[in-house]
Amino acid sequence: MSGFEIIKSGIFTLLQDQGRFGLTHLGVTNSGVMDEYAALMAQKMLHNDISSNILEIAFSNVELKATQNTIISVTGAKCEFFINTVPYSTWKTFSIKRGDIIKIGKITQGQRLYLCVKNGFDVEKEFGSNSTTVKENLGGINGHQLKSGDFLAFKRYDKPFNYKLKDQFIPRYDEDELVLRVVLGYQDDTFTKEEKDKFFNSSYTITADFNRMACRLSGEKITSSVDGIISEGISFGSIQIPKNGQPIILLKERQTIGGYPKIGSVLSIDCFKLAQRKVNTKVRFELIDIKLAQQKLKDFYSLFK
Amino acid sequence: MQINIASADSVIIYFSNDISKQTSLIVKSAYEILKAENNKSFIEIIPSYNSILITYDIFRFDYLNIKEQLEKLLHNIHIDKNETKDIINVDVYYGLEVGLDLENMSEKAQLSIDDIIKIHTSKIYDIYAIGFLPGFAYMASVDNKIAMPRLENPRKKIPKGSVAIADNQTAIYPKDSPGGWNIIGKTAFELFDKNLESLSPLTIKNQIKFNAISKDEFLSQGGQL
Repeated sequence: MSGFEIIKSGIFTLLQDQGRFGLTHLGVTNSGVMDEYAALMAQKMLHNDISSNILEIAFSNVELKATQNTIISVTGAKCEFFINTVPYSTWKTFSIKRGDIIKIGKITQGQRLYLCVKNGFDVEKEFGSNSTTVKENLGGINGHQLKSGDFLAFKRYDKPFNYKLKDQFIPRYDEDELVLRVVLGYQDDTFTKEEKDKFFNSSYTITADFNRMACRLSGEKITSSVDGIISEGISFGSIQIPKNGQPIILLKERQTIGGYPKIGSVLSIDCFKLAQRKVNTKVRFELIDIKLAQQKLKDFYSLFK
Repeated sequence: MQINIASADSVIIYFSNDISKQTSLIVKSAYEILKAENNKSFIEIIPSYNSILITYDIFRFDYLNIKEQLEKLLHNIHIDKNETKDIINVDVYYGLEVGLDLENMSEKAQLSIDDIIKIHTSKIYDIYAIGFLPGFAYMASVDNKIAMPRLENPRKKIPKGSVAIADNQTAIYPKDSPGGWNIIGKTAFELFDKNLESLSPLTIKNQIKFNAISKDEFLSQGGQL
């Protein structure tokens, strides 16, 4: 069989794609890659379909052995990256020969890196997607993160191929403060002008309570005039303000409905940047109107059409 | 009906400010109308108690377009109160070893455990929303006599299949989960099953009827104590 033998899986390496859609009415979350920019760039470099699957690697110490020739691309977090012990920088494609060992060492900047192969891995989709949602036991291989000893099949690809992204398209993940643009919505009328001013003029800190489901922040307390609401659908990027006043940004594995008041939603394309930030990074919210927000999203996805 | 921005590519439609059977029927009718459109630009549709969240393709609709489109589609929602729904029967073993809060509820409600069971099984429940966990259906309305507030200290693990009550709502835990609802029994009925084409046998269109069964019947259905 041609593919990758997973020699070392790392603690949390997930098979992902753009997500699982059309089942939220049953409580099934969307899941999908946390940083679509890095993931889609990786696909684009290989001329893959944007719905192809990809590995999302959140911890170091991953080792793969190729049993056949292919091409891979690697993007996202900066890391020590080796092919047969030779170090390379990422955000480029690599020709892989049968027997090559790919190794991901320490992650030095950012939180998640992405690795895909030409034409994707041959893994059967579950309910329309390969995205792994561990808590739902869906997608990936048997519904869980990769384990050492797993095998990821791909089709042999021999043509030479070399693509390196220009530096200007490679993001940094280490600036002092990340700006998250927000469209007001949902229950924003339950927050007074003073509360909104506080929200947009304070600096918040990413807490350790940050995973694929949500990112909890700490900072200036924000108060809604209501404690709770009737449970309703939750959008990607929406900002819940629970009773303690500390914002929670809902991400790819968010629960589908919930009962905390929400002030609005962070732009999805800014959530992708958030996905690469470490605990204790400062973030600040900036208001954006719906028209401009939609234009920004269109600009983003037009890059990959 | 009011339509608000939810995010750059989603809107939320509110049909009222309360939880009621009337509102729930409106939500269900509106959900059917939206689904019947079979419009690929409606990416996700999440109905809940009094609202529907729609994620849409921004390459097809901008905010004002989608709002206009939804107002047009939903300006006249017809509710058929006599519509027959698929009633799903769920067998429950209401034994003390699985109904962890039965004794406590009996004391608080000043009812015998048999009365609690009789009251819980006497109604046909509507599904108001599905969420929290895949296949977790919020059903109502539980008779006031056995309505109970959530536990002050939620349990770290409520076993899969537990049948529970919180205020006027009742539900079945589709899998092991933390939770604060009052546990009154257990079922072997599967609410989230990867082998089903639909993943879950329940949608908000169904109604649920609980039936009390004996321990032996429960065990023979594959139930676990």
